[in-house]
Amino acid sequence: MIPLIKREVCQKNNWLTEDEFWDGLSAAQSCPGPIAINLSIYIGYHLAKGKGMAIAVLATILPSFIIILIIAMLFQQFAEITLIQKAFHSLRPAVVALIAVPLIQMSRQSGLALSNFWFPLSVAILVGFFRISPVYLILITIAFAVYQGLKKQKL
Amino acid sequence: MIYFQLFLTFFKIGLFSFGGGYAILAMINQEVVLKNAWITHSQFMDIVAISQMTPGPIAINAATFIGYQKGGFVGSVLSTLGVISPSLIIMTFITLTYIKLKNQPWFKNIFQKLRLLSLGLIAAAFIMVAGDAFRDLFSVLVFTASFIASWKFKLNPFYLLIGAAIVGIAFG
Repeated sequence: MIPLIKREVCQKNNWLTEDEFWDGLSAAQSCPGPIAINLSIYIGYHLAKGKGMAIAVLATILPSFIIILIIAMLFQQFAEITLIQKAFHSLRPAVVALIAVPLIQMSRQSGLALSNFWFPLSVAILVGFFRISPVYLILITIAFAVYQGLKKQKL
Repeated sequence: MIYFQLFLTFFKIGLFSFGGGYAILAMINQEVVLKNAWITHSQFMDIVAISQMTPGPIAINAATFIGYQKGGFVGSVLSTLGVISPSLIIMTFITLTYIKLKNQPWFKNIFQKLRLLSLGLIAAAFIMVAGDAFRDLFSVLVFTASFIASWKFKLNPFYLLIGAAIVGIAFG
């Protein structure tokens, strides 16, 4: 997805320089929300301020919005068909596998170590078993990270 | 009233979706399945499957789909707008200040810590959906085969899910 956006924006249309693109990407990754949307906001704003931003976002969500809307409209009728039920019966465990694989891949890239393993593990248990909302954990984590970062800065 | 609830719920999901992709699943599950009971666990997984086979981010796909089921066309528009609104607000702010922010230790530290948190959230999503998916031997076999296909052979999720659907129709 990212290489596709980069080719359109940097090579084909010359809207951004490479440096501007990488800055935008890391900004998009540090903002909540889907990265593709955040990046389109950055690019749209860069080119034409508020209007550019609105159009870029709208254009990014429109294809998936239309496709999902059509599927959602048809889903009620199709869900009754035995063949579709059989397909989804098999799709559910496949989806679980698709969640399990990035879990292992990400654990290598996220700086996981013996000393901090307790943190993601507790998050998994609190949210997965005790149904604690991720909202609280995210807020606490951000507050702690800012506090820790500011403390380091002073030293 | 349902329109307002849809917008607010998806606004919240958008606001707290860090780490992209699968880390958001625990948040969607928490809000949509557990808190509001708009859909069941099985329906949630159907939506994840559909989302993986169609273009676009999963948070947007889930918003459009659930919004339509609960509030028709207007519901789907409001849910989709709800999930992208936090991005619009925060990203505008970040775009304007990013050059100053990016070298601050506290700013960098947030994302180091959130990366680890995301890992925990993906694991939580796995815990939430696993119990429901492993109902019979067939499901366990499909899981194992899909896991190997994705992990060992790096099979693209789209083809993997098409394959799983065909297997389900043929043998399920």
